[in-house]
Amino acid sequence: MGVQKHTNLASYALGNLFKYRIRSVAIVVALVISTSLLCSTEFIHEGVQRDIDYSLEEGPDIIVQQLEAGRQTTIPMSWVGNISQVPGVKIVLPRVWGYADVGSGKFLTIMGINATPYQNIADAIGTRIQEGEFLQEGATRTIVIGQGIVDLMNAASNPINVGVGSVISLIAHNQSLIEFTIVGIFETDSNIYSYDMVLTDIQSARELFGISKDKCMDIAVWTEAGSYLSDVAFRIENRLIDSRVLSQDALKDAMLRTYGDKAGIVALLWTVLLLTVLLLAFTVSSAGSDEARREVGLLKALGFDTVDILEIRMIESLIQSLLGASLGISISIIYTFGLGAPGLAGLLLGWDLVLLNGGIPLMISIATLFLVYSMALIPILVATVIPAWRNAITEPDIVLRGI
Amino acid sequence: MMEVIIRTEGVWKSFGQNGPRHVDAVKDVTVEIIRGKKTALGGPSGSGKTTLLGLMMLLTTPSKGKVYIEGEDVSRFSEVFRAKIRREKIGLILQANYLIPHLTAIENVALPKLCTDMAKSRAEDIARDKLEQLDLGHRLHFKVAELSGGEQQRVSIARALVNNPKILIADEPGSSIDKKLTWNLLKLLDDMVKNNAMTIVLASHNQLILDWADRSYMMDEGKIV
Repeated sequence: MGVQKHTNLASYALGNLFKYRIRSVAIVVALVISTSLLCSTEFIHEGVQRDIDYSLEEGPDIIVQQLEAGRQTTIPMSWVGNISQVPGVKIVLPRVWGYADVGSGKFLTIMGINATPYQNIADAIGTRIQEGEFLQEGATRTIVIGQGIVDLMNAASNPINVGVGSVISLIAHNQSLIEFTIVGIFETDSNIYSYDMVLTDIQSARELFGISKDKCMDIAVWTEAGSYLSDVAFRIENRLIDSRVLSQDALKDAMLRTYGDKAGIVALLWTVLLLTVLLLAFTVSSAGSDEARREVGLLKALGFDTVDILEIRMIESLIQSLLGASLGISISIIYTFGLGAPGLAGLLLGWDLVLLNGGIPLMISIATLFLVYSMALIPILVATVIPAWRNAITEPDIVLRGI
Repeated sequence: MMEVIIRTEGVWKSFGQNGPRHVDAVKDVTVEIIRGKKTALGGPSGSGKTTLLGLMMLLTTPSKGKVYIEGEDVSRFSEVFRAKIRREKIGLILQANYLIPHLTAIENVALPKLCTDMAKSRAEDIARDKLEQLDLGHRLHFKVAELSGGEQQRVSIARALVNNPKILIADEPGSSIDKKLTWNLLKLLDDMVKNNAMTIVLASHNQLILDWADRSYMMDEGKIV
């Protein structure tokens, strides 16, 4: 048999979907809701994963911290020299960082570093300057900011147009205001960790957070090419008993836990929705079976066989699933990429995270689309195959006996 | 010489699988249908004529005995082959017409062609010809509910003829139409026998139809009497 017969059966199946339009619409709507939710979650989840990868690429290989009573505390600067002597270590950079309010209630991440060594690190976060220049060695109270800060200020209820040369005031640890001059605006591939980041010199950061000159918040370590990260981390840990050494793998795990775990709640919700769709599909396939059986009896009396009937029913399910999944994906793309996933982004990424439209890390992949289509298609086909089969094996003499 | 096109040989059809509701609807029936002739099965309601018709149409399989079509024992054919024979050799006119309500007249007539490799447009061309032959050219795109009882009957006949079958089998063809329409229907069937060398088998308890047939078999309680 050629293609024409299948085209004819598909055309008949399409007619059936129009005939039972309320049933068809119910299944498609249920699929649209569940697939759009799954898709939006996956777009954000994958975007976060990619963002984390970018962050790690732009960040150090190892971060050394110190814990006190289970909480991160400041580190003596003497550790810097100690770590420098560890074989495999290339660059050691003390950092002073924290969160500071610009007066709007939104907290920005302030990172204090030594400008010259930092600038020499390839692709370090904040070094890709798109406007102005990077921090100068010895200069204080100057900052370079991420494009997100510019967007944030512009989108505030009282918009402030900040740029190179602008001065912004940050609230210091003692509630005083410290003015910083913007000398550059940097671009970054990462949105979550650098979107609201401000880089300044380490001395100004100490002033802002009230940290003494012989202390830093953590130490960023870049390793020699070819050295094993885990070996270097192990050596540092052995040398500094009180330290907590985080390699990129540990950092990635921590980041994923922060932003990935919430996706589990949505996945659970999505599962419930999908089960509802399945039950709906199963119920409506079984419903109206007397009428459907009579129609099958007639078709078989006219020369259709069981496989033809089954094909018609499968095509009906296929069309519903593909339509539902495609609409769900389209709505999801508009909702996430177009509108910035209002509500869901806050739920997944945290409501306090400074994000604006376009700033949400999003990613669409063939694997996700394949997953969504599979999840929409396979369960519906499975849910309808039993009633469809029961229907298809109807003896054609039903049309004679008038059952 | 008269050629047998359908032969049932000692066929039985039982329902209920020997349980308390066991019924032998057809008991040891042997009949021969002659090619190009009009054969009627008569008898009261429940006599088994519709069941016997179902066995000849290959809509069901006999519990015992054999059914031959053009000399071939088709009684144990697989469902796919029985469907193929129905599609290629047999046209059916069913008691309640059994048209699909959401389809138009032309779509209903073209329906048996959908499970073949013929394009839908070509199938509808043939359906149009059949409907025009039955004076329904002005009702091609009417839904079933918009057609009168007589028109529905003619759509059902057009559908039975769309595959140019050798055998036309009709179950109680005059049951839902008045005497005048029944006459018209019989005249139409006469033309088909003459013009297309078609074999016609009908089940009816209408004496008019039984008298019209070339040959008649009377049934009672599942047997030929």
